[in-house]
Amino acid sequence: MNRSAASRPRPHSRKAGGRRREEHCKTEEKADDVAPRGTCTTMCPISEVRQREAQNRLHHFEVLAGTERNRLPRADVCRAVKEYSRPAAGKDTTRASELRPPDVLLKTVCYLVDDVAACPSRQPWTEVYSFVFDRLRSVRQDMVIQRVSGPECASVLERTVRFLLYASYRLCGQPLRLYDPHINDTHLQESLSWLLECYSEGQHQHQDEFQALSLLYNLGSPRALQHALELPHKVRHSSPVQLALALNRAYMERNPVRLLRLAQRLDFLQACALHRHLLSCRRDLLLLYSHGHSSRNCRFPIQKLADILSLECSLAAQLCQTHGIHVNGDYVVFSKGSFTESPSEELQCAHMHKLVDDKQQDLSLSNIIHGIA
Amino acid sequence: ETHLKIHYILPREEQVLEAIDTRDGVFCAELLSFKHPHVANPRLQLSSPEDKCQQVLEPPYDEMVAAHLRCTYAVANHDFVEAALPVMFAVTLDLRVFANNAEQQLQKKGKGKVGDMLEKAAEQLMSCFRVCASDNRAGIDDSKKWGMLFLINQLFKIYFKINKLHLCKPLIRAIDSSNLKDDYSMAQRVTYKYYVGRKAMFDSNFKLAEEYLSFSFQHSHRSCQRNKRLILIYLLPVKMLLGHMPTTQLLKKYDLMQFTDVTKAVSEGNLLLLNEALAKHETFFIRCGIFLILEKLKIITYRNLFKKVYLLLKTHQLPLDAFLVALKMMQVEEVDIDEVQCILANLIYMGHIKGYISHQHQKLVVSKQNPFPPLSSVS
Repeated sequence: MNRSAASRPRPHSRKAGGRRREEHCKTEEKADDVAPRGTCTTMCPISEVRQREAQNRLHHFEVLAGTERNRLPRADVCRAVKEYSRPAAGKDTTRASELRPPDVLLKTVCYLVDDVAACPSRQPWTEVYSFVFDRLRSVRQDMVIQRVSGPECASVLERTVRFLLYASYRLCGQPLRLYDPHINDTHLQESLSWLLECYSEGQHQHQDEFQALSLLYNLGSPRALQHALELPHKVRHSSPVQLALALNRAYMERNPVRLLRLAQRLDFLQACALHRHLLSCRRDLLLLYSHGHSSRNCRFPIQKLADILSLECSLAAQLCQTHGIHVNGDYVVFSKGSFTESPSEELQCAHMHKLVDDKQQDLSLSNIIHGIA
Repeated sequence: ETHLKIHYILPREEQVLEAIDTRDGVFCAELLSFKHPHVANPRLQLSSPEDKCQQVLEPPYDEMVAAHLRCTYAVANHDFVEAALPVMFAVTLDLRVFANNAEQQLQKKGKGKVGDMLEKAAEQLMSCFRVCASDNRAGIDDSKKWGMLFLINQLFKIYFKINKLHLCKPLIRAIDSSNLKDDYSMAQRVTYKYYVGRKAMFDSNFKLAEEYLSFSFQHSHRSCQRNKRLILIYLLPVKMLLGHMPTTQLLKKYDLMQFTDVTKAVSEGNLLLLNEALAKHETFFIRCGIFLILEKLKIITYRNLFKKVYLLLKTHQLPLDAFLVALKMMQVEEVDIDEVQCILANLIYMGHIKGYISHQHQKLVVSKQNPFPPLSSVS
């Protein structure tokens, strides 16, 4: 039940021992306040470099050029990055020499973006993704242990979110053993929530951008929408957030025509965020039209349909056929009886990426992830 | 004789109220403690003190005192088994209240994740719940199962606060399958139905939501204006989605005039007024968590507007352009004929319009019989 809790006074228990308990709590609080502070100045602690080198567990992106064929390849200290390690009993993750302070973490992230992710010579990109994904996870781990917060935390998380959003689009359709969209989604949501929490205090340059990305990625989520409605006025009325809200409204009103039309106004990264919802939006349009235009004499021009679906004609025709909609030359025949929900295997989201593709143009990946549009 | 009891009760509850207001924690604790002599006072022994407490005290203190009074009653009757439950009630209630306070303190310091304290409290309550639910030993009168609904209501409060409504499902299932469900006190059942109704709203199950919230509203204690108003805040949007508009009289009675323009706009099919009304009272609607549901009224408003177009043109073959003109008159931004088709297609799909769109002729062809079925018969 809603109550104006702020105005209610609260009874303090001052029974015998209460004061002692209060003081005890204060000292405990102080102890909790001292989070470990890292002193490692390199992207990977030297101890880990030596250990992995000796155990032949270097990633080939970390190997010193020319030593790849050695029995034990040598580490390139400028390219070794601390890997993620699962917390385990007996493992001390708080040794200062192995923790990287916030400025080193940001440098690490920049290296991962500019020299690995955005490096065109590194192929295949699924391998690049795996490496960067893992190393970013380790960066977040260092942040958690040191309880980093505020703008330093936001800078790292913003790049992480942009990377994961881009990946969700770029690797869409790849085989499961190379890329798991569900795992990507879990980490993306985690990073996004953490980032939005950082934003709840103080001013942040990119807040508008990320509140909008969250709304697009989580299209139709009541939780994301309620959060957005409660944002400070200035953020809520910024143009990226307003556009994202408009798309959500079109979704909630079940107007996919409007939704796809508004989607044309999104920039590349926003389109990446929205992209996983596009297939179901298009499907919904076909469902609604199957009912709304259902008549024996129905002749709906394929070109028109392709326009409102934001697809090429041939793909539009394929999508129709997948859903049991009869295609007759230049026209389709809508009929509520013949529409089928379950799509066949052949037509995947990845074949219909043109809407997003076109937006990338000559933007470099580096600029996309650093947020320099 | 009841009057006399209430008269004697009153000063004591006001004592509690005063103690709360002056932040006199010590005295307050005493009043709720079993070691204080007041416990022996026969005048304080009421078996169903909730209503009286609700009238004098604000939540959560009303519940705390009521639980305490139930306890004194049970203990006075040497019914320690019966007393055990109210003690649990009081303790679990304290737990939730303290978790709430802890949350707010943490939030002020910018520490911890929102909802952590409340989630922990919920875990504790769930263990109590499991104990009660699995109590098969005692006879029905002594059964701990009587504690179930109270606990569930506490858990609901927490889950709603931390926005994890899906956790309500197993609890609802437990009550649905219980044979005690209609025998709990009315106060508990009213609270239960309120939350289940709100959950049904969230799940877009509007017919069910109407049933539960109506029950809650009708069986709420007459004198508890505050509770009835709270229930109404959620019942109104649901009823409007089902086509039943509230009277101005009702809105005035419960101080809910924020809904007047919304009501007017929807019934007239006036999209412009609807958008203005939603914007005007945005803060209130968002705070109550009903803004998103009220936006769903747009579809009903489209339906009402389009019905007017149909009645005006007096034909069964309506040019799509007519609907576009109507929308433009309502200052709907950037709408074109394609979007009009989509809105109409959706209305047909939902059953609000009986007919079909002919793209070739750019017309909406409606059924000659009842093309706009009454709202209550749809969805």
